[in-house]
Amino acid sequence: MATRRARPLKAPDKLVFLLSFVPYLLEQRVVAVPEAAAHFGMTDDEIRDAVRLIATSGLPGSTGTYQPNDLFDIDWDAFEDDDVIVIVHHVAIDDAPRLSAREAAALIAGLQYLSASPENQGSASLASLMAKLTAGASAAPSRLAVAETEADASLALIRGAVSVGRQIEFDYLNARGEGSRRRADPLRIISQDADWYLQAYCHTREDVRNFRVDRMSDLVLTDEPVGDHSQHAVPDTLFQRSDSDLDVVVDVSPSTLSLLADYLADSRAREVGGRLRVTLRLAHVHGLKRLVAGLPGLVTVVSPPEARAAVAEWAEAGLAGYREVEASEIPRTTGSDDI
Amino acid sequence: MIARVAGAAGMGESRVPVEDRLFSLVLALLATETGLLKSEILSSVRGYAERYDASGGNANLERQFERDKDDIRELGIPLETVESPDRPGDNQALRYRIPKGQYDLPDEVRFTPDELTLLGLAAEVWREASLSADSQRALTKLRSFGIEPREPVIGYAPRLRVRDAAFEPLRHALDRRHAVRFRYLKPGEAEPRLRTVNPLAVVLHEGRWHLHAYDRDAAGPRTFLLSRIVGEVESVPGMRFDAPPPGIQDRILAELDDLRLRHAADLAVTAGTDAEVRLGKRAVLRDEDAGVIRLHYTDAAVFADELAAYGPEVRVINPASLREAVRGRLAAVAATHRDEGAA
Repeated sequence: MATRRARPLKAPDKLVFLLSFVPYLLEQRVVAVPEAAAHFGMTDDEIRDAVRLIATSGLPGSTGTYQPNDLFDIDWDAFEDDDVIVIVHHVAIDDAPRLSAREAAALIAGLQYLSASPENQGSASLASLMAKLTAGASAAPSRLAVAETEADASLALIRGAVSVGRQIEFDYLNARGEGSRRRADPLRIISQDADWYLQAYCHTREDVRNFRVDRMSDLVLTDEPVGDHSQHAVPDTLFQRSDSDLDVVVDVSPSTLSLLADYLADSRAREVGGRLRVTLRLAHVHGLKRLVAGLPGLVTVVSPPEARAAVAEWAEAGLAGYREVEASEIPRTTGSDDI
Repeated sequence: MIARVAGAAGMGESRVPVEDRLFSLVLALLATETGLLKSEILSSVRGYAERYDASGGNANLERQFERDKDDIRELGIPLETVESPDRPGDNQALRYRIPKGQYDLPDEVRFTPDELTLLGLAAEVWREASLSADSQRALTKLRSFGIEPREPVIGYAPRLRVRDAAFEPLRHALDRRHAVRFRYLKPGEAEPRLRTVNPLAVVLHEGRWHLHAYDRDAAGPRTFLLSRIVGEVESVPGMRFDAPPPGIQDRILAELDDLRLRHAADLAVTAGTDAEVRLGKRAVLRDEDAGVIRLHYTDAAVFADELAAYGPEVRVINPASLREAVRGRLAAVAATHRDEGAA
């Protein structure tokens, strides 16, 4: 069953649906409207509209006029009275269309990304699936590829805990640098780009929390089953707002703005000296100093002063580490690097 | 009042929905063996015929037909043009058709419920509109078999974002095999330089999108980081090139992996910090007592950015170039955030 889509369909999408719906109806022979709707992730009315369109479509024929025999036909009584679709005459198409090079490439690259997840690692079925997609494309799929990444060793254990529904225990170091032992009911794993997160009900905090998998260590699978958390909403976003959030005004180079999309407090941006002045919302200054230091030269904190000072101190402390070492040892030099 | 009603009725008359016109066009072109002339299409196919003027002056309709052809081809439907053997080069004598053998999904391409479940999850990966739309269209086509996927995979949500503005124009050029022009800022160079390249493959490696291309000015293959492309990627439609060899994308990934293995850094990490936990998970060698780990990396500038984020939690021991790169970054961040009189 297809999940309901979020976006309205454009004309080319509707065409693809019509071209796929016809062979589906031929294959099924007799199908109820709600069943077809569930299969394609459409509403019953959308399906009925499509059936009416198909039933009056066909070929212009040799005379250039649409004659009955050149048109699709359906069992109108079954359709009008029982909401059941039966094609009794069809023209021109009976098979599904091939995939476009772009469509095949998008799915293949998606599968490559999935190959990083523990249950798919080194999976032969993924490879054969990609070969089938290539064979089903009307032209060689576009050269798009996603490298297999090394999944965190903890992932397989967490994935197992999610599927069997058992509690886990682990050490967790939060972004403030505070470590503690946590017991949690794992609910869902999210991978975002190269990062892995666990959404879990945390027994310590008595609420659903997002954990970065790479900040978890000494993970243990317990014998305790997870509780019922149906009353807790599992957030769809990784970044949750809270009343204690910190608003920070920054100047950012326009090309960097997309990297900060998760943190933007609102959609306002004003140009200041060739840069954009925007407001970021973060949980605390610890997250901010890491974010800004990781985009050196691209983001400058304007206010509040404490946030500016925290970033300056963080960078100064980093520099101080090098100065101390320099005073006490002679550095070794090796290596070359460039891309 | 009357005028408004008349106007509305007039519009209603000529308004065949776009998908209806495209569907009728595909049916007509699939059913013909020899192909249809443009004049035959415009005068008889639903959606055009209603607006066709037998006495000529169908310029709007012809433009519409050109756009429809492009839209249909974009969907992977092999819409062909056949020249008249008697009148080669005569556009009015061109015939259009869709060969059924190249339209139908081959028989061996059938999927099991388990495979459809995986494909559904693969489509979920994309958060970016055009990749997501492409994936959804592919799934719609595969639904024609009437096979229900097995229960959806629960407890796992994969997300891959594309945040480089250059990605979409490059993917487009990749498909059409058009050369592109863009300004590229190489680390160590003061100003971005204009490059004209044949885009051959786009790959994601270590969380970064790379373009592999043939650089027309340098007359050789080059690999670019999308995040270093400055400003617009401009398509150069006049410059076409041949399809790159199959599997070129995998070869590029292997090259990037080699590059990564050739670069190693020794890092001192402070115990009990984020750097120790997170970088430690990627270590290939570690000296617990000294608190030193060794990591591989692909690109020094990218890695230096990442290390700078850890501030005092990590210190580069070697290579020296990486150490200086991180120091330079920390110094720049400190300088732009230090207030007058503070330090």
